[in-house]
Amino acid sequence: MDRPLSPFMLPKWYRFQITSLLSILHRLGGIALAVGSIMLAWWLIAVAAGGEVFAATHAFIASPIGVLLLFGWSVAFFYHLCNGIRHLAWDAGYGFEIRTAYRSGYAVLAATVVLTVLAWLYVLLA
Amino acid sequence: MKDSHSLSNSTALRDETVLRRVRQLGSARDGLREWRLQRWTAIALVPLGLYFVISMLRLATSDQITAAAWLGSPVAALLIILFMLAGLLHALIGLRSVFADYVHTRARLVAAELLVRGATVIIAGASAMAVLKLFLAK
Repeated sequence: MDRPLSPFMLPKWYRFQITSLLSILHRLGGIALAVGSIMLAWWLIAVAAGGEVFAATHAFIASPIGVLLLFGWSVAFFYHLCNGIRHLAWDAGYGFEIRTAYRSGYAVLAATVVLTVLAWLYVLLA
Repeated sequence: MKDSHSLSNSTALRDETVLRRVRQLGSARDGLREWRLQRWTAIALVPLGLYFVISMLRLATSDQITAAAWLGSPVAALLIILFMLAGLLHALIGLRSVFADYVHTRARLVAAELLVRGATVIIAGASAMAVLKLFLAK
């Protein structure tokens, strides 16, 4: 059967809503962070190994692709962190009213932007 | 009632429960365990994650010697290992729920589960070894 499957219902059968969009982004961000754990493990090993391994790892991280990856992971991290706290509030039974869910969604987006900008400003100014 | 329950639990009912599980009839009665573990790791990851990000920002422009010295300190070594373990456990539960939603054949599901479980163990082991090496070297 070729029934449409969430989230692939989105443009055609479902209208975009901030709530469903943020839910999808939470999962995508989580998957990205899971992949990022490989990079973190690699970096930890590089620090422990030192020498040429660290130099090569450092060169990759400082390369345009490396910085782009780090930027993506930083956005995913701050978003998943903020939206995760939103999810924990739901799990505890708070914030289910549609108005509240929309407001907390926009708050999460704003917090993600602020935290990402602050983090990268710190790196650039350091 | 209590006696008959324990009696049946040790004989007939237990077999029936096993048969029910084999036939995939109804609940296995531990469905909430992963859900709870995902929440506990999420709560732990709020402070651990903030500590990790702040540490990484402070190390962003540093060399290997500074990073090794930081990872060798007992507090940082412990917290980074805990961050890695809580994060990987949280990620494993999350990825398994993605597979449950989108992987529809038994063979692919088993392959995906093997892949992420194996990767999780390797990443956790390798990270812990690296941090412990730096900690013990100090």
